[in-house]
Amino acid sequence: MGIRLDKEARAGLTLIAPPFIFAILLLAVPLTAILMLSFFSQSYLTLDTTLTLDNYRTALTEPLYRLLMLRSLAISGCVTLATVILAFPIAYFVSFHVAPSKKSLWIFLITIPFWTSYLIRVFLWKVILGYNGVLNSSLQGLGIIDEPLTFILYNANAVVITLAHAFAPFAILPIFVALERIDRPLLEASRDLGEGTVGTFLRVTLPLAMPGVVAAALIVFIPTIGDYVTPQLVGGPSGLMIANWIQTLFLGQNNAPMGATTAVLAMLIVGVIALVFVFLNRRFLRVRR
Amino acid sequence: MTDAIVSLTDVHKYYGTYHALRGITLDIRAGEFFSLLGPSGCGKTTLLRTIAGFEDVSSGTLLLDGKDMARVAANKRPTNMVFQSYAIFPHLSVAENVGFGLRRSSMDSAAKARAVDEALEMVGLKGYGTRAAHALSGGQRQRVALARALILKPKVLLLDEPLSALDKKLREQMQNELRRLQRQVGITFILVTHDQEEALIMSDRIAVMFEGEIAQLASPQDLYRRPLTRRVGEFIGVMNVLPATVSGQEADIAGLGRAPVTPDQAPSGMPEGTAGAGIRPESMSILYDGETTTRRTASGEVVEVFYYGDMTYYDVVLPGTTKPMTISMKNVAGRPVLDRGTTARIAWDAEALVLFGDT
Repeated sequence: MGIRLDKEARAGLTLIAPPFIFAILLLAVPLTAILMLSFFSQSYLTLDTTLTLDNYRTALTEPLYRLLMLRSLAISGCVTLATVILAFPIAYFVSFHVAPSKKSLWIFLITIPFWTSYLIRVFLWKVILGYNGVLNSSLQGLGIIDEPLTFILYNANAVVITLAHAFAPFAILPIFVALERIDRPLLEASRDLGEGTVGTFLRVTLPLAMPGVVAAALIVFIPTIGDYVTPQLVGGPSGLMIANWIQTLFLGQNNAPMGATTAVLAMLIVGVIALVFVFLNRRFLRVRR
Repeated sequence: MTDAIVSLTDVHKYYGTYHALRGITLDIRAGEFFSLLGPSGCGKTTLLRTIAGFEDVSSGTLLLDGKDMARVAANKRPTNMVFQSYAIFPHLSVAENVGFGLRRSSMDSAAKARAVDEALEMVGLKGYGTRAAHALSGGQRQRVALARALILKPKVLLLDEPLSALDKKLREQMQNELRRLQRQVGITFILVTHDQEEALIMSDRIAVMFEGEIAQLASPQDLYRRPLTRRVGEFIGVMNVLPATVSGQEADIAGLGRAPVTPDQAPSGMPEGTAGAGIRPESMSILYDGETTTRRTASGEVVEVFYYGDMTYYDVVLPGTTKPMTISMKNVAGRPVLDRGTTARIAWDAEALVLFGDT
């Protein structure tokens, strides 16, 4: 028995073996560990390795979990929406209105914010949005407001603003690539067949850019839902997300099994949403080429 | 001209300092199959795109169906275009592609569907409506592009090198079909091509363009038989040009000798003194041993032989000349193809000569 491998297959397997082992060690092993941990329970200082579904029962019944999960989904959803809507015009501008020789320079400039540490960028937003921050003192100085605005920091709004800024390049790049791949004669054909600027955009440009938009949404949505640094620094109590609670369970409450359970559930939910995105993308991609 | 559907007067187009169209004045008649022929970079595509509305004119006027198009955008013009790349929308089905331009029409959806079916049937793609655009071959894409443009019943159909991407057999078939379609729908077709044979086969009239200017506008026969300049003559088919001296009604042609000429043979005016005498390969023939003729004769050395199956092309160097001239002979059973190095007797006709002022 056994599968006979030809020479090429063996060579291929040899080539992918090191990264494959690396991936197993760094992805599959921790994932399995977390999954196992989620079925254990914690009794004070000792880990009870009896398999139990109690953690899941708790997570699914206690309102705190649902509140934090829904809030995370809502915040990430807002971030995704804001990022994609802000990124699209930028990508469109670079693709359609910048001279071909200058496009790579523009893309390079767009990535410049990424040269700064993410933590520093979050602190920067604290400085801008704070009670005595740049925004409030400017608005007060101009006489537009009398009291500093308080709804812009230490809540969900601040998390959305900060994350949308941080993830902008991730959204701009896939949309830009999708727009670049649109054959320009298609746009001329649309105009030739009677459509104006808006009609051409809605009937040709946007549908053909959808794979890029879906990819951008996915790239922004998945990491932001698991982000816990930003909510901790600018979110305040009303801006805390599910990842903050997972961190609290692991480190603050010393309840690793419960933290693992929460993490598994969060991953499942994100996984399902990601699958929906991937399915959407496949639908858009299938009609191409 | 009263029946001109497209009328250009002194149209110039600049791209920065580059002068792409240099004073084009042209009337295209309603219902004719018109070709813009020229080498790449001669401005023929620019001219077509100007008519379509994708480029605006730098100066001069463009009338379509008697209306000035200066401020009219491409989507408001009575023209439709078949693009070189066909520009089939990859995210739409064949029927959606063909029906793309009908969205703004007042037809109800059943009438639209019927119109799409009719257009597909007209181009020989009946029943292809539900196919995805990406599943089509090159020839089928071409047909979809045609149906998509013709369904809108434009006054003028613009074709930008539509056949250049197809292989030879398919190209010949599509040339046929395009002509049939044009007669059937009676729409003015303007074809841009760099293929002189294609232009000759398909067109009612041809404008030959060089460097942003129209070098000659004529019917295919006139263009072939009476090219205005040596350059046009050499661009359309093969033209052998020999140095000649013209005095009055007589030309002394290097390698061929003296021959009478008429003003009719000098389309751009009778030259005096140094001139170029052009003669087509098929206006000369090689005489075989014992063959007699009443035509004029000369002799030369065969330096190259190109066997095409139905035809053989001989490169022959005449005494007193250096550049070989091409003579084409129909291959007939029992007549051998000559070898290189043979000295051949040549028969030719003085009436076939064309005189050019430039040598």
